Amino acid sequence: MDLSLDESQQILVDTFSEMLEKECPTTHVRDCEETGFSSVLWNQYCELGANIMGLPEANEGLEMSLLDLGLVANESGKALAPVPFIEVAVAGRLLAKLSPDDTLLGALTEGKPAVSLAIPRPNAIFGTSGGRALIPFGTLADAAIALDGDTLFVAENGDARRSGHVRDLGSSALAHWRLDRDADSRVLASGPDATDAMRRADAEWKLLAGFWLTGIARRALAIGSDYARERIQFGVPIGGFQAIAHPLAENAIRIDGAELLCWEAAWADTEDPERFEMLASMAFVWASQTAIRTSDISLHTHGGYGFSTEYDIQMFYRRARALSSVGGGSQEELQTVAERCFDSDGSGKAASLLGGAN
Amino acid sequence: MDFRLGEKAEDVKREIRAFLEEHFSEADRKEAAEDGGGHDWDLYRKLAAGGWVSAGWPKEFGGQDRNPYETLTLYWELCKAGFPWIGLLNNGFIGHTLMVMGTDFHREEFVPKIAAGEIAFALGYSEPGSGSDVANARVAATPDGDDWLINGEKMWTTTAHTAQYIFMLTRTSTQDRPHRGLTLFLVPTDAEGVEITAIHTMGGERSNGVSLSNVRIPDSYRVGEVDKGWSVVRFALGLEQAMGYADLQERFIQNAGAWALETGADGRRPFEDSRIKEQLGQTAIHAEVSRLLRHRSTWLAAEGKDLAAKGAMTKSFSGTSYLDDAQSWMDLVGPAGLLKEDEDGALAEGNFDEAFRQTPVNTIYGGTVEILRSLIAEVELGLPKSR
Repeated sequence: MDLSLDESQQILVDTFSEMLEKECPTTHVRDCEETGFSSVLWNQYCELGANIMGLPEANEGLEMSLLDLGLVANESGKALAPVPFIEVAVAGRLLAKLSPDDTLLGALTEGKPAVSLAIPRPNAIFGTSGGRALIPFGTLADAAIALDGDTLFVAENGDARRSGHVRDLGSSALAHWRLDRDADSRVLASGPDATDAMRRADAEWKLLAGFWLTGIARRALAIGSDYARERIQFGVPIGGFQAIAHPLAENAIRIDGAELLCWEAAWADTEDPERFEMLASMAFVWASQTAIRTSDISLHTHGGYGFSTEYDIQMFYRRARALSSVGGGSQEELQTVAERCFDSDGSGKAASLLGGAN
Repeated sequence: MDFRLGEKAEDVKREIRAFLEEHFSEADRKEAAEDGGGHDWDLYRKLAAGGWVSAGWPKEFGGQDRNPYETLTLYWELCKAGFPWIGLLNNGFIGHTLMVMGTDFHREEFVPKIAAGEIAFALGYSEPGSGSDVANARVAATPDGDDWLINGEKMWTTTAHTAQYIFMLTRTSTQDRPHRGLTLFLVPTDAEGVEITAIHTMGGERSNGVSLSNVRIPDSYRVGEVDKGWSVVRFALGLEQAMGYADLQERFIQNAGAWALETGADGRRPFEDSRIKEQLGQTAIHAEVSRLLRHRSTWLAAEGKDLAAKGAMTKSFSGTSYLDDAQSWMDLVGPAGLLKEDEDGALAEGNFDEAFRQTPVNTIYGGTVEILRSLIAEVELGLPKSR
């Protein structure tokens, strides 16, 4: 057992942490609230190779692991970075697998946030009909990958498909996309190849979102704890009151749990592949619940100030909720967790996956 | 990064499962649950004969030098199987403490007998007037010639009725702050003046109250220096807190899952209901996070790193999440969830009823979640000390 980062992983974390501290203070995040995207910051990401980290070497990629991608997502979440790191990574990897000579891959390697994806929502109660979907960073992308039944396709010509930028709770750069399989679309795969590939891409998106949400939670907790140490009421720092300290402490535990779960899922990708999709699903749910709860508790710790736009904590509260919802939310995903724990093939014989790392 | 416990731990899992298969029948499990005492001498001697009691001790003391992942696996498998293992847990710990802090007399007189499965220890920290405030123990040890006289009352002394000794926290000084006047003794349960009374609990566990009236103890039964007992107790509680209930949570989610996948009398599987699926998902996540936190505590210990408040995190999370799940499931499954194991129509081997009764104490004993959260707030978040 080894639950530490190795030297190169630590360097990766430090590199992005330092860059984000310099290039993405919360004032910058505020400046980008309207569009949810910072081209300046994205250029910095690309200079560090973030756009090609997950691509294979054959596509001029760095062929880095999901854990490496997750560590970058985690740092990004701490900074609320307004960049399409996750979508570019996941859509790029999906394309590289199914369509290695795709021209869209060339655009990604050049640093254009050219492709996003429609996250499948098999357990959705609402919001998937009508032939259109809300695409994260759909305001920027030229193309989106989507599943229609058991056909996986690329919907191109984004300008003609999107309805324009729709403002949202978390500055998610969302746009409605018409996802018709028309002349501007092409099939990537069909049958089990298509559904397997999209299930895999969905798990990668959820895991990276889990890392990102864990980062949001970690920073939100630090902001709340700092405030609890400094704010004086009744003559003492409010962090000395159990009513303030205990909810913060409880979330410190949840965040450690979310981090371990994200790490385990990313590690399982290569080391325990049977459990990967189940763990990725768990990581998304738990990180969602944790980030939403922690940002709420930290906001509450601020009293009325937390509710004012002047304080940063409200940005964490909104974005934690938003990123989780973009993936369908934790309630929907819980059903996927159950299916992957117990019934992935409908036989109900998968309970052995619950027994820890193999 | 590596999330595996390792080959040796896998071997232990196989060996202990084979042991259980051979020596621990379904009837034994039910008897252990009925008795609730947490210790059974017949079964315990078999464990000792297999070398399991001293498994984690160094070879020079007759142990097997097994690593913390092997010990974790041993406890995990026994607990999950419903084996009465509290005596084993206490004895492993006391043996370790005597090796490190004890005298030559302790190492020669007690340690080999523990390893052989001949004697067992109960832990005597809590008292009627000191629970969370454990450093405020009042049971008095006063010098009398070369001996000590012990007087007072202990509470929650689980396994005292089957053990030969109680590892007892006593007050030897009231001159300084409370935690600076504490001393530990090994108190024989058959000594004159020791009276043990059963305390029965909603969860089915049987614990004890112990009253001590002029109990004469030779000085050679003292462990550690006079008035310096606090660090030993803190260490002991730290070990307990680093464990949690992930093993029982794993059993619970597996039972709930197996029940949900069976076709019921109405021809449907509960699994088809989205509410059941959501609760299964949530319970599975709680079990996984509890496991990971416990594995992290074990890893930190194995690496010789400072646990800080990571042990407290393990117990706090596990205790609260298991309690939440037990309560949620009971609400979800309706009246049949109330039925006890073996009753007509009981669900999931009665595990819903059992968990509902047993989990409230998990957020109380060995450090309440309030005590643990204060510790976490202080150590991990740098917040002021709070009471």
